[in-house]
Formats: sequence, structure tokens, C-alpha cells
Amino acid sequence: MKKNLTKIAMGLGLCIALVACSKDEETIVVPVSAVTVKDLAADTVTGLGVDGRPQSAGTTTYYSLVDNKVIASTDAASTKWDIAFSSTKILVNSGTSGPGLGGAFVYVGLFDALKSIPADSNFATDNANAASFAIPFGSGKAWYTYDGLTTLVSPIAGRVLVIRTATGKFAKIEILNYYKGGVTLPATASVNDKLFKQRYYTFRYAYQPNGSKTF
Amino acid sequence: MKKTSYFIFLWVLLHSANLSAQSPFVKDTLDASGDSVVVTATRTERKLSNLTVPVTIINAKTIQQNGSLRLTDILKEQTGLNLTSGFGAGIQLQGLNPDYTIILINGEPLVGRTAGVLDLNRIALGNIKKIEIVKGPSSSLYGSEAMAGVINIITDATMGAPLTVGLRYGTYNTVDANLETKLQTKNFQYQGFINSYNTDGYSIRPNSNSRVTTPIDRYSTTQQIKWDLSSKTNFVLNTRYTNEQIQNEIAVANNGVTIYSIGKEDINDLNASASLNHRFSKNLKTSLRTYTTTYDAVQNLLTINGLPYRDVLNHNFKRIENQTDWDLHKNVQAVFGIGKVWEGVKSSRYDSEKIRKQNDIQYAFTQWEWKASEKFTLIGGVRFDQNTQFASAYSPKLSMLYKLNPKHQFRLSIGQGFKAPDFRQLFLDFTNAAAGSYSVFGSAQAQQVIAKLDALGQIGILFPNYYSLKALKPEYSNGMHFTWDWKINTSSNVSLQLFRNDIKNLIESQQVGTYISGAQIFSYLNIGRAFTTGFEVEGQHRFNSNWSLNGGYQYLRTGDKDQIAAIKSGTVYTKNSQGYSRLMKLNEYVGLPNTSTHKLQVKLNYNSSKGYYFNLRAIYRSKWAVNNNNGNEVFDNGDVFADGYVAVNSAAGKAFKNGLGIQVGIDNISNYIDATNLPNLPGRTFYTSIKYQLQKNNK
Repeated sequence: MKKNLTKIAMGLGLCIALVACSKDEETIVVPVSAVTVKDLAADTVTGLGVDGRPQSAGTTTYYSLVDNKVIASTDAASTKWDIAFSSTKILVNSGTSGPGLGGAFVYVGLFDALKSIPADSNFATDNANAASFAIPFGSGKAWYTYDGLTTLVSPIAGRVLVIRTATGKFAKIEILNYYKGGVTLPATASVNDKLFKQRYYTFRYAYQPNGSKTF
Repeated sequence: MKKTSYFIFLWVLLHSANLSAQSPFVKDTLDASGDSVVVTATRTERKLSNLTVPVTIINAKTIQQNGSLRLTDILKEQTGLNLTSGFGAGIQLQGLNPDYTIILINGEPLVGRTAGVLDLNRIALGNIKKIEIVKGPSSSLYGSEAMAGVINIITDATMGAPLTVGLRYGTYNTVDANLETKLQTKNFQYQGFINSYNTDGYSIRPNSNSRVTTPIDRYSTTQQIKWDLSSKTNFVLNTRYTNEQIQNEIAVANNGVTIYSIGKEDINDLNASASLNHRFSKNLKTSLRTYTTTYDAVQNLLTINGLPYRDVLNHNFKRIENQTDWDLHKNVQAVFGIGKVWEGVKSSRYDSEKIRKQNDIQYAFTQWEWKASEKFTLIGGVRFDQNTQFASAYSPKLSMLYKLNPKHQFRLSIGQGFKAPDFRQLFLDFTNAAAGSYSVFGSAQAQQVIAKLDALGQIGILFPNYYSLKALKPEYSNGMHFTWDWKINTSSNVSLQLFRNDIKNLIESQQVGTYISGAQIFSYLNIGRAFTTGFEVEGQHRFNSNWSLNGGYQYLRTGDKDQIAAIKSGTVYTKNSQGYSRLMKLNEYVGLPNTSTHKLQVKLNYNSSKGYYFNLRAIYRSKWAVNNNNGNEVFDNGDVFADGYVAVNSAAGKAFKNGLGIQVGIDNISNYIDATNLPNLPGRTFYTSIKYQLQKNNK
């Protein structure tokens, strides 16, 4: 209940901000509110393969931070999306991933404390050919750790993904959870739960529509 | 003759101190006078009440009445000791990992550790006279790496019945059979012991065919000969052989892949020691000891995909040592020792299982005891190790005893130790095909091996710490123990122990990179600075001649100093329940994994003059951190913990006058099960046993 209220308040805040923005271009101090996206499915698991690995269709979920909605995969080659998810992999609309002006880097610190993106920040782009991605793949590299014993994925505390959108504006993201309902699974969870409740992203983000690097 | 009266004198003293639960039961077979002398603490025979360091003695009667079969059974019921469960059952002493505790049998070390853990289930207790546990670094007489302590298992041919047979049957078709013979003539004593232990193992995971403990067959035999060559010279020979056959059904999960394997483990463990002891005069005696041991383990597995997996470990250890005890003055006693160790390991986990990795150590130690007054005793000692693989090092220690009055005694010991990197930390070259093909490379060759793989294009990413790989330095530790013993009255006593251990250069395994396939690559680095500190309270009370109660509590704090510094500097984050990150506070830090803040054990004892006995033992261990689930690599309140638990065990029996003894027991009465974190704790188990001791007819 409380969570919903906060969400509504946040949404309202964003609306007001947008309205304020469009009404008066002179207003520079625009408090950007964070929105939370819940249970975004990203190539969810269909079963367990004979090799012991989880099986899935290999899909990618494209997302627009500007419009706060899922973009159809048929628009993968457009600038409609800013960020895309497929299991633990996160892409930005750049380089080999898409035609946009996207980019990203991993900021170590707190989401709220990141008020402005440092001027000397280096936004990387995706290059699948060199196996190099703006948000590096793998445990301990960017936003999560994977525990081989519990087979659970945990977002790393104090990591903010700073995103340059497909149209060259800026956003910041914190991944909150990787499991359905935003509920961290206990180490003792059943194999089925671990298999079928994973790959549901819950994250919060703030998007600065005015093109500045401040939030 | 003189010796006997000396022993009787000691026995009386000890009995009045009442430090280990005593009762008149089986007085004839349990020659309590032998129990009064401690050898482990100073490496020379000393009365318990005159020691400057804290020592716990577990005597044969306690072991027998508790129904303990293996060393693990009895150690887990001791204050400040916890069992660990990776790589067999190891022992954690005052929060320090199993590799900091030396396990001795009659003063000689056992070898054959996997990942630093010596599986204590290897040791059968049927013929044990007593177990001495020395806590703290002042035990460095046995090797500098005994930073946490020393556990010495002592068998003795000089006492007991000429023939003892025992048979026990319990849940999971667990059968334990013992045969012990003793032969004594005027100057020759022999003890022979055979134990066989077989179990079907148990499955505590519902709907799973993967047993937690798989079928095990263990055979063990020990022989001891004591031969008095003259009134001044004697010769002691000890041998021990253990064979274990363990059926394996293993499921290993790594990187999202679970691989099932079946197979067998075959372990052979052989120890032999011989010592020649000579007393030149009342004030001077010397002993020459030789010891050789081999631990050989072969594991053959077949994964479900038909991939064979073979693991071989052959560890040998040879030692020759001379120790001389010289009483320079009636108040000054000195001990001098010198020795050499040859140690070698062959393993399929190294680059070649045919090449033996060798390390030789020359060492010398001395210890001086000064009895300044009736009230005050001071012991100083130092050990010097010259290690062919590493720099030489000194391990000094200082300990003292102050007897304020007959009721209060204080002990203080301070010591330093070091632990050289072990073979696996240097030479491991191991890729685990049964668990996702991750690799671990010892630091001595990690860079070389990885560079070669990189040249072949097999390496994905190298982490920054790969470039900081270098020759490992030994770990250094400082320890301090303070003990206050208070004998409240003839039926109650209590003791308080404060301890602190600091370790630097902790050697830990860390991921240094990945293969192209994403599989991890690990090596070893000197990274941590850790501490363990806390206190222990132990007490016992005798209600009357039948009933007594004893118990112990340990409060433990542990931590990694670098992590604490990082938390203080505000660079460690944690997450709240919604997943929002925030700065971690110092009071959320829980310290090292697998350590519990509280451990409590209580034991109620009944012994009647007719030979009936009963005991009820409860052990509580508070929660401990097992997994990090917020990626900050620091254990905090938000991480994954194993739940705290209580295990209650009970045994009852009767010892008949004719030497027959019967016993029934239940372990884990409340049926507490935690398959993930306590694989060594089966559910409720029952057992019954019968024992017969042929009585000596000299009464």
C-alpha cells in the first residue's frame, strides 16, 4: 500500500516535472523523481537443459526510459529504446546493440547521492564483436554477483548504472532485484523457484529529460 | 615404587581441584592417577594445576559415557569448539579455521588435509585414555602453525583391562566394533586396538537420492609398545593404520550447472613413531623421537555424462627430534629441542601427480620455567623454524601462573606464531571438471600457467589482482589469553577466559580472472588482516555424590580489519529490504563467515555407586553467516545466515561389577536438521552398545 502510494507520488512528481518543463523552459532546478519498474521479464526460463543449465528462448526485452514502457523487439533497430535486458545481460542502444546515441558506465556509490554526472565520465558503448559492453557482463563486474553454491544472483549494493539514452540524454538506474515480485530468494529456496522466478528485474531510475547531467 | 607414590600424590591434588568430572564409578579399571598429568601444554609432564596455560582434559570415562565414537563427537560438545563441514569435519577453535589447530596422536601430528581441513572422523576413540586441548598460541612447541591450539589424543598401554571388547549398533545400520588387548609384564607393556565402523549413511534431503553422508567403512588399528630397557631407559613404539572406503554420490553446482557424479574414495592413513627415552639423573633426561606418516587418498568418480574424474593426494611427513629436559635448579627447569622435518606431497591437483613437492624444515625450540615462588610461575619459550621454501622465523611465547590463594588462580599467556603457505596454496593446478570447470592455481606458478593459457587464447578476462600475484608470505599471528580460575567450594568451580588473536597476511583464495567460457580462475593472495576475540566461561557444580552439572559458554567476535577500515571510511554499501543501496554501518558488520557469536553447552550427569549413569547434553550455537547476498563482499545483517540451533544428546548405561557394560543413547533428540549448513548433523539417531572388560584378578 505504502509502496504504491510512493509510486503514485513519484509518478505524479514526474508528471508535474514534465508539465513544469514544457510550460517554462527557464526553470533549471527541476527535481527529477525516480520511478520504479517492477518484474520486467528478461528472457525468463522455460526449463532445465540436460547439461544442467537453465533453458530459455534467448529473447531480449527492450525498454524506453523516456516513456517508461517496454518496446516491441521489432523496434530493436530503432532509437525507441534506451536499455535492453536478457537474463543478467544489460545492453544500451549503442554500437552493435542499436543505432542510438546510447552509452553507459557503472558508478560506485549511492543512487540518491549521484546528483550530477562527473564531467570527466567516460560513457562506453556496446561492442559484441570484441565481447565488450558498456555494462560489462558477468558476476562481480557491473551490477550483480552470482553465487555458485546457492545459484542465486544478487545485485551489488552501491552500484548505479549511468545511462546515456538513445537520444543522448541522461538517466541513472539502480537494479533492486532479479527475482519475481522483487523478493530475494532464500538460499534454501527450491530448485524450481530458483529456476522460474529469476530474470524478473525490479529497478528504479531517474531520467533527466532536459539533456543536462544533473538529477 | 617412588613413581607410583608421585602419581598418587598428583591424583589427590587433581581430585581436590576437581577439574574434570570424577566419580567413584569403575575406579578399578579407570586408573585415575594417570589422568592427572598433562603433557601437551609444556611438552613435559606437569600437574594440571601447575600449568601456565589453559588446558581442557577429556578423560576416557567422559568419552565412554557420552557414547562418543569419533573425535568429532566429543569435540563438538566442548566450549569454544565448533565443527566445520566443508572437506570433512574440521574443528574451529576460538573462531580460527581448522588449519590453525594441530591434531596430535601421542604427540605426533596427523597429516592429510584437504583445503586445510583434517577430517576428524578419521579418528576412532575406543582406546583413548584422554584428550588434551590446549588453547592459545603458547602451544607453539608443536609447530609454529598451532596458532589456535593443539589437540592431543593420548593412548596409554600402562593401564586398564587386559581385554576389552565392545559392540555398538545404531540408526542407519551403523555398526561400531572394538577390540582392545593389553599385555603387561614387569618391564613390557603392549596395547593393541582394532576398530571397525560401518554405516549406510543417511539422506536428510527429502525426495533426494543424494545422501549427505554416504556409506562408509572404516577400519583402524593401533599398536603401542612400551619397553623398559633398564630402570633409566625405555622405548616406546606406536603405530596406527586407518583405511576408509567412502561411497560418493556427489552433486556439485557451479555457474548454474549441476553435475552429478558417483564413485568411491579410498583413504589409507599410516602413522608410526618410535622414541627412546633415557634419564641420566634426577635432573636430566632426554628423548630421541622419530615419526613417519603417510596419508594416501584416491577418489574415483564418474560424472553423469560419463566423464571420469580422479583425485589423488599422497602426503608424507617424516620427523626426527631430540628433546632434553634439564632441571638446572630446584626452581628452574629447561627444555631444549632440535629436529628436522621432511614433508612431501604428490597430487593429481598439482601439475604432475608423479612429482613430489618437497619442503624441509629444521627447527629448534627451548622453554624455560621458573618457579619464582609458591605463588608465581613464569614460562618463556621460543621456537625457530628454518623452512626451505620460506624465510626463517621465530615464534616466541611467554606465560605465567599466579596462585593468589587456594581458591583463585590467574594465568596469562602471550605468543606469536606463523603459518607458512601450504602445498596447495603454492602448487595447486586444479581444474574441477565435476563442477563447471573452474580452475585454481597455486601462487608459485599461477602467473606462469595463466600467461601460457592466455597465449593459447583461452583466457577471457584478467582481474587487477592477477597482476599483484607474487610469492606468498607466511601468515603471522599474535595471541593473548587470560584465565581466572575460581574454586568456589569443594563442589563448585568456575573459570573465565579472555582471548584475542590477530592474524596478518591471511592467505585467501580469490578469483583472478576467467576463461573465455566464463569459468572462474582462482589463486591465492596474502590479503587479509583478521582478528578473533571473546571470552569463555566454564563452570561445574556437584549437587551430591550422584548428580553434577557442568557447562560452558563462549562469546566470540571476529572480523577482517581491512573490511572494518573500509566500512569506517564509508565505501561499503548494503541494501535495504526494497533493494535500495545505502551506506553500511559498522554495527551491521558480523565479521568472518562461519563464526557464531554465542555457543553454549550444558551437561547434566548422574553416576551411582552401583554403576548406573545417565547424562543429558545440550549444545546451542547461534546463527552464522554463510553467504553474501548483496555483493559487497562483507558479511552484514542482510546476508544469508544459517539458523542458530540446539542439539540435545543423551546416554544412559550401567557398568556391572563383572566388567560388563551396557549403554543406550539418543543423539539429536529434537531431530534438528539443516541439510545445507549442517551436513554432519543427521536427524535423531538411536544406538545401543555392549562392552566387556576382562577383569584383572589381582584384587
